[in-house]
Amino acid sequence: MSELQSYASISVGQTLPEVEQVVDQHMIDAYADASGDINPLHIDPEFAKTTIFGRTIAHGLLTLAFVSRVLSTWNWQGWAYGGELNIAFLGPVYPGDTVRVCGEIDAIFQRDEGVYARCQLVCYCAEKPVVKGFAVCKIN
Amino acid sequence: MSDYVTYDSLTEGDDFLNPVPVYKVTQEAVDKYILATNDSTLELQQTGSDNTRIAPPMLAAVYVIEALRTRVGPPGGIHAKQQFKFYRPAMIGETLYTSATVIKLYQKKGRNYVEMSTDTKNEKGELITSGMITRIWGKES
Repeated sequence: MSELQSYASISVGQTLPEVEQVVDQHMIDAYADASGDINPLHIDPEFAKTTIFGRTIAHGLLTLAFVSRVLSTWNWQGWAYGGELNIAFLGPVYPGDTVRVCGEIDAIFQRDEGVYARCQLVCYCAEKPVVKGFAVCKIN
Repeated sequence: MSDYVTYDSLTEGDDFLNPVPVYKVTQEAVDKYILATNDSTLELQQTGSDNTRIAPPMLAAVYVIEALRTRVGPPGGIHAKQQFKFYRPAMIGETLYTSATVIKLYQKKGRNYVEMSTDTKNEKGELITSGMITRIWGKES
C-alpha cells in the first residue's frame, strides 16, 4: 500500500463540508419509528430517568446518518460503493443538542482496486466529541 | 422468564440467527428513513434507467439492527462501536438477509460488552453490507 499526499483535486489536510443538525425528541421519535428501534432509553422519558443519562438520548445510529450525509455529499460514489466506516460512540446526544459533523482527509493511499482516501471524523455537541472514528472511500 | 436475552446465555461463536432474518427494502421504509434523518442526498431522489431507486447506505443501521432484534438485551443497552463496509447500496424492492455471529464477550468497568459481526446479502447472494457492532448490554433485573 503506497501513501500519497494528494490525488487529482484531493489532498491530505482537506476538510469535508460540515453538517449541523439539531436533534429534538420529535426527530428521535421519528427515527425510532423508521428504524424500529424502540429502546425506551430513546423514547420513554420516565424510563430514561432511571438510567445513568437521566433523560432520553438519541440513537447512536441516528448520529451516523448525519455522518453518512457528509460523506455522501463529499463523495457519493466512493462512499456508497465500497465505503468503510469505523467509529466509536463517546457520549450521548440529548434532545435539543446540535450535532456538528466534521471530517478531514488524513491519508491517501493506493490499493489493488484503486486510490482511496481516509477521513478522520468527529461529531460534536457544542465542543464535546460524541462520535469519533474514520471512513475510507475510493476516490479513483 | 425474561422477554430479553440474558448476557450469560450468549456464547462466543454463536451463529444465532437461524433462520436468517429477512428485510424487505420498501419505498415506504426508505422514505421514512430519509425523512427521519433529514437526508437530502440527490442520488437518493433519482430513479435509475431501469426504474430502480437506491436506499441510503446507512439504511444498514435499520436492517442490521432489525436482524439482531432476536438477540436483543434488556432495555437500556447502548451502542459503543460500529463498523460498516458498504459493498453497494441496497435497492428498493430487494430482499435482504442478515446473518450474525457473536465474536467476543467481555466485561469492562463492570459492564457487559457484546461484539457481533454481520453480513447482509440479497436474494441472489450478493454481499451488500458487512459490519461489526459492539453493544453495552443493558442491566438485567
